[in-house]
Amino acid sequence: MISVRRKVNRESSRAPHGARPSLSGFALALPPLLLVVVFVGIPILIGLTFSLGFTQGPNRVISLIGQQIHIKSHWWGTFAAYSDVLHDSRFLGDLALTLVVTSISTVFVIAMALGIAMYQRLIGGKKASVLVTLSIVPLFVPVVISAWAIHTFYGGDGFMRTLFSHLGINFPTLTSTPVAIVIGSVWTALPFSILMISSGMQAIPNALIEAARDCGAPTPKIISNILIPLARTPIIIAASFTAIGILGSYTIPLFLGPNQPTMLGVEISNFFGAYNRPQQSLVMAFFVFLAASGIAILYVWQNIKSARESGRI
Amino acid sequence: MRHSLRLPRLLLNLAIAFMALFILGPLIWLAAHAFVSDWHYPNFYPSGFTFHWWSRVFLDSALSTAMRNSLIISPIVVLCSMVICLPAAYAVGRINFWGRRAFMIGIFSANSFPKIGLFAAIATLYYSLNLMGTFVGVVIIQLLGTIIYMTWIPAAAFAAVPRNLEEAARDAGANKFTVFRTITLRMAMPGILVAIVMSFLAAFDEAQGTYLVGAPSIFTMPTEMYSLVQNYPIQVAAVFSLLLTLPSVLLLSLARKHIMGGQLAEGFQLK
Repeated sequence: MISVRRKVNRESSRAPHGARPSLSGFALALPPLLLVVVFVGIPILIGLTFSLGFTQGPNRVISLIGQQIHIKSHWWGTFAAYSDVLHDSRFLGDLALTLVVTSISTVFVIAMALGIAMYQRLIGGKKASVLVTLSIVPLFVPVVISAWAIHTFYGGDGFMRTLFSHLGINFPTLTSTPVAIVIGSVWTALPFSILMISSGMQAIPNALIEAARDCGAPTPKIISNILIPLARTPIIIAASFTAIGILGSYTIPLFLGPNQPTMLGVEISNFFGAYNRPQQSLVMAFFVFLAASGIAILYVWQNIKSARESGRI
Repeated sequence: MRHSLRLPRLLLNLAIAFMALFILGPLIWLAAHAFVSDWHYPNFYPSGFTFHWWSRVFLDSALSTAMRNSLIISPIVVLCSMVICLPAAYAVGRINFWGRRAFMIGIFSANSFPKIGLFAAIATLYYSLNLMGTFVGVVIIQLLGTIIYMTWIPAAAFAAVPRNLEEAARDAGANKFTVFRTITLRMAMPGILVAIVMSFLAAFDEAQGTYLVGAPSIFTMPTEMYSLVQNYPIQVAAVFSLLLTLPSVLLLSLARKHIMGGQLAEGFQLK
């Protein structure tokens, strides 16, 4: 590996950079790509054929073990498993919960990150860095721990209920409600968004903001006409990564959410394991993937647009 | 100039208090349980303090095996990830090759398939490759989650190394390897360090895939944590949580300056 790399260094430094498409560059990029193709791409394709009712070949074993398996009725397969899932009222409830929790959590995360990052950019000072540091803390904590800590904190005998009972208020038990999933999702997603957005805001030149102030622009106008448009790319990256992460999340809804309806990440696992309906489980995974792809396209489009604007393409 | 925007001080202090409660509250609450004998709702104070739960965790063979497994597997995953991904990151950052952007997007889209669905789909492949329940199988599953960090962040770091610096060193007579080692690699180091830390955490935290592939022969700390919270008293889970958080806190403290300095943010902008 290292000898290949050195050879390529030599080649690439001889040629002017970016001058011609390089085969050696492609060769260097191959190992992680192969890994992804073999262990992500191929399983997903096999899974797709299985969800369409192809039960032979690599899908033979799982078809024998699983229940309610539909076998293809046309040359291209069958949509029977998809129809199963779409007519399952549980799935529809799960889907609604997943979409609502994802949207609300993403809005909260971005609003909090924007607020803190803008405060840090416009005013700064010690308190701003305290806020930023606090919101980075969840990065240090494994998700299982976060989920369990939040579970106990908002639980029936948790801190919030203890505190409020001493004030004579009956604080609701939030654990096992959708509210707790939102709390957990915001908690875990905050660091990434703060890092993205605050570094985007820090990159905005002081001169621009001061020029606007000298012209008498009020702060809301500076925010809406300078800060938000110039930090648009990092904001959209933060929002799309947050939404994709929450959409497919498993641990947070498992520990914090209600049993029914639950988020699709948990339901995919239930259908695969506990209910032994692998076909339907994969169909749900494809629905989540479809939603995530929609968000991913937004991310890629925004990146390409910003690269084009700055003349990198 | 900087103070022309005056947010009422009270509001700001409230925001800090809210964030402290929201972020730190659950962690402190859980951590406190590691040292108490019992805590009954709605008492504000625990019944007593003890270190009993710590000895219980260290004497439990399943728990200490899980700790050992985690501390062995995660570094191996990071090393594999570096060997596989860093040359690719260099290529992406420095060489304009055919399919470069498609490569970045491919890595990203692999990351946006719901993990739990992928693990369901991967079982078939694992059975046919005889990877179920094996050490290699667990390493590969954890490796998948590190690829995006180990390619994207170092790629941005390599791309940011100024070319004229390298050329100046070449003009001064340094050979290519020396230039790569002393300039390119050294200047990209903060990015690589952040990628190593993020990859380690991704591998160390990975639970669902590890459980699906590793159980019942290989348990790591996070997979053990799932059963722990159901079968043990909360104090044991609290001790285990503290231990499980320790490596991340240590590592992130090392890389904190670079992470907050924008290395992570830089890596997630496609260029």
